[in-house]
Amino acid sequence: MSDVFISGAGLHTTLGRGLGANIAALDRAPIPPQLHAIEVAGNEHALPYYLLADAPLANVEQRFYDAIDAVIDDALTQSRLTPAERHATALFMGSSCGEMPVLEAEYRRDLQASRDALAMAGTSSLGNLATRIRKRFALQGPDYSFYTACTASANATAYAASMLRAGRIRHAVVVGVEIFNAVTALGFSGLQLLTRDVMRPFDKRRAGLVPGEAIAAIVLTGEPHRGGWRILGGANLCDTHSISATNPDGSAIAAVVRQALAASGTTLDAIAAIKMHGTASLLNDEAESAGVRSLFATLPPLCALKPYLGHTFGACGLAELALFCGRISRGALPASPGICADDSDLKITLNQAPRAQSPGHFMLNYFGFGGSNTSLIISNKP
Amino acid sequence: MSDIYIHGAGDYYAPYNEPAADLKQLVAEAVGQPVRRIGRFIQLALIGAGRCAQAAAIGTNSAVYFGSGRGDTEISIEVMQTLFRDGHAPKPLSFINTVSNAACFYIAQTLKLSGRSSFVCNRYFAFESVLQLAALDVSTNAVATALVGTVDVVVPPLKDYRVRLELPADAPIAEASHWLCLRSTSEGAQGRLLAVENFANRDALLGWLERQAIDKTCLLSAGQFLATDEFAALVGNLGTEHFLYRSNRVYYDSQSGAAMGEFLRDPASRGRQLLHINRDPSGRHAVMWIARP
Repeated sequence: MSDVFISGAGLHTTLGRGLGANIAALDRAPIPPQLHAIEVAGNEHALPYYLLADAPLANVEQRFYDAIDAVIDDALTQSRLTPAERHATALFMGSSCGEMPVLEAEYRRDLQASRDALAMAGTSSLGNLATRIRKRFALQGPDYSFYTACTASANATAYAASMLRAGRIRHAVVVGVEIFNAVTALGFSGLQLLTRDVMRPFDKRRAGLVPGEAIAAIVLTGEPHRGGWRILGGANLCDTHSISATNPDGSAIAAVVRQALAASGTTLDAIAAIKMHGTASLLNDEAESAGVRSLFATLPPLCALKPYLGHTFGACGLAELALFCGRISRGALPASPGICADDSDLKITLNQAPRAQSPGHFMLNYFGFGGSNTSLIISNKP
Repeated sequence: MSDIYIHGAGDYYAPYNEPAADLKQLVAEAVGQPVRRIGRFIQLALIGAGRCAQAAAIGTNSAVYFGSGRGDTEISIEVMQTLFRDGHAPKPLSFINTVSNAACFYIAQTLKLSGRSSFVCNRYFAFESVLQLAALDVSTNAVATALVGTVDVVVPPLKDYRVRLELPADAPIAEASHWLCLRSTSEGAQGRLLAVENFANRDALLGWLERQAIDKTCLLSAGQFLATDEFAALVGNLGTEHFLYRSNRVYYDSQSGAAMGEFLRDPASRGRQLLHINRDPSGRHAVMWIARP
């Protein structure tokens, strides 16, 4: 079985534009979100959202595509693919929103002209964003757009790695996209899952999530001289307990982790640390903590990145992977000071200060609406 | 890598007329129980997947690979109209169902499955894309049984949906759901998946075809986005017969799955192979190649 390496990465989140800026921001404490006004049919809603750094919320369409292009360009440039290699490169997209920000802007504009305007009036397809990216970057390989809610870009990563490992493709670009849109903001508000404070996963004071924007891209290759971090494997399973929450007994989470370990050819005792999903919601944190506690006799160090990024939904698989790898490559496991510092009611604690982290195998967990649970195993061990 | 066998097919196809046909009874027949509070896109998924599951007698660890050319446009349009035209926030269940893998959840819950599930969109190669992912997982023994399918829904009023599909004002449109069941075991199989491939352009496709041992008795079917003259040239080059599966079909996006189902059900195709070739506007091609015992 051949290895799969990350040969390039790009990231734009609320923490900054570029992977370096994002990593540097982890040395500061998480900050509460700003409120953003969403005006719908004359009613204004002020909702918390972490927007992309240095990208004011104006000219929605251009902002959307420019931000995506810049991140993919970073990853491709770093990967040093030749034009011929790029031509054959496959594209794996993961998103919850797709082009929804653009579709919303178009529909709002059309409604101003006529109340009979059509929502999604163009030939809208959840595959259109991938088509646009392929054209923009001259990628003529196959493309797959994963829409599996909060696990979307994690699943895209896992399948890209599987195809590389099976020799079906030689290089892959994986892209995660989540951009501000009213449907997502008001949808989560309607579910009463939003907090206006910093997200506090697994903490007694956890009070909900903050939506966040993120665009992340990585290039995967089977050629070791081009890469550092490896994707060892992953798994996803459907949990039919509830469409909006994972089984609180943790059994579904334990099952997907076991499958991910088996797919990666590794074992629980080889896991040096875990990046938790950590949505700071009552039920999902309960399920996740129960799941990992049921697996490990002694838990490895745990970290969570949503206090910094917010919940970037379909992009969180890749955004959190890029940030996690970047921080550890600079020698430390990410920390979330003051959040879940003591043994919480869920009987876990999160890493409180950047701690030296040697190379090893790491587990990254993601759980989403629609019962989609995913676990990835990655490594920077030579 | 294991061989991949086809153990069942399940299909639904119906031209759409207003008022829309009620699908509740078909859903109940396909999955053995009524399913409430779901939209039409999910109903269509349950009809196709349920029929396929009945044909293949699937187990609880089966995985679901669900694709579409556009996604669940029904729920997206409803939520956008409710929000921006009517000024109401999305209802919680409507919002949750905007994640397109909601249909995967209902398939898994209704058929009592706990394996992998993915919803994947590709505008022109919807069926081919999910078949590739499923074949990858079956061939590497990551899953034992895979349910693979695509769905196309029509959102009323019909005249508006024609605009969304960029079709003429009088063009008929259909709804459809096409599913296959894959396994790595051959016992009881209805067919075998020989290949599912992507090509960056026509030359790459032709090079691949030259390297294959394609028998003259192999049937060739045209994907809906492949130009007629290109298909005719391929039929001529390969010296094979044309397999007709679209002659009585009106427009919907993801017709490739129909070719598979029609071939597997056709009594005249026993002992033969089907090579299905599709393309997209950027010149990429995709091939699905299956054989019947």
